Amino acid sequence: MTGDATHTAGPAQALPVADRGTVRRSVAELARAEKRSVSLALALHIAAAVAGLAAPWFIGRIVDRVSAGAPASGVDVLALAIAGCVVAQILLSRTAQNVGNRFGERANATLREDFVARTLRLPIGVVERAGTGDLATRSSVDVTTVGNAVRQVVPTVLIAAIRLLLIVGAAFLLHPALGILILAGAPTSLTVARWYLRRAPQAYLAEGEAGSELTESLTATAEGARTVEALRLAGARTREGTARIARQWQTRRATLALRTVFFPVVETGYALPAAAMLLAGGYFLSEGWVTLGAVVAATLYAQQSIEPIDHIMIFLEQAQRGVASLSRILGIGLVAPEPRGVATAPPGQRLVVRGARFCYPGGRDVLHGIDLEVRPGERLAVVGPSGAGKSTLARLLAGIDLPREGVVSLGGVAVTDLDPAERRRRIALVTQEHHVFIGTVRDNLAFAAPGASDQDMCRALAAVDADWFAELPDGLDTALGDGARALHPADAQQLALARLVLADPHTLILDEATAALDPTTARRTERSLAAVLHGRTVIAIAHRLYTAHDADRVAVLEQGRITELGSHDELVRAGGAYAALWHSWHGDKA
Amino acid sequence: MRYLWWLVASQWPRALRGSVVGSAWMIGLAVRPYLIARAIDDGLRKGDTRALLTWVAAIIGAGAVVAWLGIIRHRTMTFLREDATARSAQVMLRHLARLGAVLPGRVPAGEIATVCGTDMSQASWALTMTGPGVGAVLTYAVASVVLWEVDPMLAAFVLLGVPAVVLVVGPLLNRLQGVDTDYRHELGELTNRAGDIVAGLRVLAGVGGRDLFARRYADRSQRLLRQGYRVGAIVSWVQALTVGIPALFLAAIVWLAARMAAEGQITVGEMVAVYGYAAILSVPVWFLLEGGFMAVRGVVAARRIIAVLRIPPEPGTTGHAPDGPAELHDPQSGLTVPIGRMIGVAAEDPADAIALADRLGRYTPSEVTWGGRPLGGVDPAAVRARILVVEHDSYLFPGTLREVLRVHDGLTDAQLAAAIRTASADDIVESLPGGLDAAVEARGRNLSGGQRQRIRLAQHLLAEPDVLILVDPTSAVDSHTEARIADRLHAYRTGRTTVVLATSPLLLDRTDLVAYLRDGKVAAVGTHDELLATEPGYRALVVRTAGEPDAATGARR
Repeated sequence: MTGDATHTAGPAQALPVADRGTVRRSVAELARAEKRSVSLALALHIAAAVAGLAAPWFIGRIVDRVSAGAPASGVDVLALAIAGCVVAQILLSRTAQNVGNRFGERANATLREDFVARTLRLPIGVVERAGTGDLATRSSVDVTTVGNAVRQVVPTVLIAAIRLLLIVGAAFLLHPALGILILAGAPTSLTVARWYLRRAPQAYLAEGEAGSELTESLTATAEGARTVEALRLAGARTREGTARIARQWQTRRATLALRTVFFPVVETGYALPAAAMLLAGGYFLSEGWVTLGAVVAATLYAQQSIEPIDHIMIFLEQAQRGVASLSRILGIGLVAPEPRGVATAPPGQRLVVRGARFCYPGGRDVLHGIDLEVRPGERLAVVGPSGAGKSTLARLLAGIDLPREGVVSLGGVAVTDLDPAERRRRIALVTQEHHVFIGTVRDNLAFAAPGASDQDMCRALAAVDADWFAELPDGLDTALGDGARALHPADAQQLALARLVLADPHTLILDEATAALDPTTARRTERSLAAVLHGRTVIAIAHRLYTAHDADRVAVLEQGRITELGSHDELVRAGGAYAALWHSWHGDKA
Repeated sequence: MRYLWWLVASQWPRALRGSVVGSAWMIGLAVRPYLIARAIDDGLRKGDTRALLTWVAAIIGAGAVVAWLGIIRHRTMTFLREDATARSAQVMLRHLARLGAVLPGRVPAGEIATVCGTDMSQASWALTMTGPGVGAVLTYAVASVVLWEVDPMLAAFVLLGVPAVVLVVGPLLNRLQGVDTDYRHELGELTNRAGDIVAGLRVLAGVGGRDLFARRYADRSQRLLRQGYRVGAIVSWVQALTVGIPALFLAAIVWLAARMAAEGQITVGEMVAVYGYAAILSVPVWFLLEGGFMAVRGVVAARRIIAVLRIPPEPGTTGHAPDGPAELHDPQSGLTVPIGRMIGVAAEDPADAIALADRLGRYTPSEVTWGGRPLGGVDPAAVRARILVVEHDSYLFPGTLREVLRVHDGLTDAQLAAAIRTASADDIVESLPGGLDAAVEARGRNLSGGQRQRIRLAQHLLAEPDVLILVDPTSAVDSHTEARIADRLHAYRTGRTTVVLATSPLLLDRTDLVAYLRDGKVAAVGTHDELLATEPGYRALVVRTAGEPDAATGARR
């Protein structure tokens, strides 16, 4: 991955995050879209929980019968009833979970597919200014976190909440006062939970970050082992790593400190309901309002309420994280997608820049009024010092960025009015960047020209001298990228060039396509490039003067302005900056 | 195993405390059912208010004590694990830093990431066995005694039944994990796809094909959806049964206990207590089962850690380096590097240049001599301190620009500025927010190819080696900048030995001497101008004028 001088200069502009209201609306929408499965799952869960509450109830009845001096056979029916309820609970909760799971899977699929579709529609300028790191985190961490929340946290919390409600209800049926008193632990639990949830997300986020930073640091030390040795950085790397270890220790202590308050308070609270049941029950019993069995049942309910409360407490933090992740995922939808463009494709191929000025958001102008006409079929080289705005000009020409002032037009139509897909079919930008997508060789080529046949693809690969292709075990079906076959940088660049042959644009903009490669690789790539360039208009952003020498015209860009424009010979004769450089490069002494 | 033992032994007081507190906490869990039983029997049934109040107070008190024991246990075990993780990381860090150039060939980088990211914490989790593991066994023993006193028959049923139920449910849970693993694998694949699309967004913006990728992702996502349905169908059964089977077992116990209570063999309170014990006994048994899994995974993880730690560093050679600046000679190519001068090497085949740099830098075995003695016999550390090769893909560590450039302590900002100027990297420092304090990402990902190259050059200049070997130091910068670097580089390295392997005339023109390498051998030596005049091959190589098709524009002259 290669950035570009001019992009890193601009301040990063974070991608938006959805607010609470948007999150709530989209969750409601997901549920509303499947009203039937949601209500079915809820009903089944309630039925299962009711069945689960039967055991204490029947134990209470058993106590009453035993106290009344019933024979042993008198309890058999009641014990059988308990077993029956358990079986019912198993079947009901299984069905409920299955229905819920299916709904959750569908919701997840909708969310992630929406996210990717919206990501693909983002204007590339927005992505670059935000940095791909943020987007990468959203696509991996956030999508997974939301997935887990939908698959695990939501059902667990939901079931726990239902059970808790029913337990309170059951106690209420035994005696209304018992139903209220069973909540004796609630005030402390809620207070400490509020306290905890205000602090936990940040602390756990820091812990996660410290962990991945340590892993990154160790991995970097391993990856850069040769450099560590060459520059004798072992001491520095050890110091750096030790600092990361200390940081991880520190963040984990911080989360432990939170738990040290949270856990004991909540756990102490668990004794309160049972105590309350026994005390109140004792009084009610002495007054003759309830039976001993009812008190026993209520006490067992109090004990049973611990588990759902525990589940809710444990998962609250994760649920909160799920909401945070969801708002980041939905945030992508708040960016206006790349405009589709209205103009029909122009028949002309003439690329014209008129008075173009450009600045990155929050920065000063990088280009100051560029006027340039590219003639169809010509080879134009753009040379100039680093930071002169060459890459920015390339992006304007390709229609990726809009000029702040002025216009870039193709065949008389502003490039930004064209449909992006149409535009790309006509003008392609080739940079140092070459990305091999996960998938087969065919997948890696097909997207450039959807109608291409296998034969076309093989021909395109042959055109760029991709001789490595012949050695692939499965030809076009060979899997590439991430864990599969890794391509040498030059091979990857050739694959990218084969894409261009297939896409067949009439104009190519080359932005130092070979600059990041080592010299051997660069030479191979340049040979492949020659095949692609044949018969097209070429604008080459170059730092090698021989490129300029062989071009039809040369534009010298300095500090955002075109200072010289003409054929190589004209410029050398003119005796300007270009001429001076040429002489020194050529070995002529002035 | 021995590694895990070391992790425990190096903090044995903590491990011991974990065992004691862990046992106390687990036994404490069984106290509440007992107290409730007493409250029912002594208080409620007899209508004794005093006894009821006493037992209820005991329940609340015991609750607080158990909560306290619980958090002490959790804290102790957390510290035990964190200490182990930190210890593993420290050992790994030292080892990795010491290994140097030996490492890349031995272990793939992904393996290191897995070992550091996953295996270390898994090894630490195995230590959980020391605390609650011991506690679980003790608790089980205590529960046996208590239950025995209630009724031996009932005790036998509960004590054998609980493990039996766990053994039935355990494999079910295992199955749940297995099914889920496949799903997670597929999910990971899908996540990779999304990451892949994000990483390739700029390529897609340049060439097109977004719709196709959206569709392909959606297809894959639908596949995961169907797999999710299948997993869900099984998982819902497993979840229902893992709750249901123990519940059925409890129902059986209740039935048994109820009959005994009805026949007067046990009290009503004892019946309720038995129900409570049976419910709580599953805690230690679960702990043991889960602890067993963790221990097995921990041993596997420890093995992987050990595998990396066992990689030996390069065996040290005892030979001494020459005392002062000394001549380097490479018999294979016939090149002699003169002391204190800047020599250019123009190779017909770039691969020869890279091989030469590897030989001179003592990265490959060779016959190179340094001040007359074989370079291979000199202690590698001594070589690294004096001879430095600037490689094309030398690693840029993350940090601020200042941290990246300060290759050793004691470098002042003024020294940094001089090197930055020489590498013509001033504009990078100016353009980055915060200048020298700007963050550089790992591998310099947030810099362009040209920027990375110039930062690397400045960094290596600051190491101030006796011999600096530069491989194509300006291949990624424009001609204007290259000309500036060529001028300043010569001035910066005045009086010290510098080898520049390149074919750029701008660079070669500023060297004291140039060697022209053909077929890997020195074919001619002279100044750039001399070689231009006398060697047509050299002229063709560095200027590329007549005859050769210019690749970058495809034109033929």
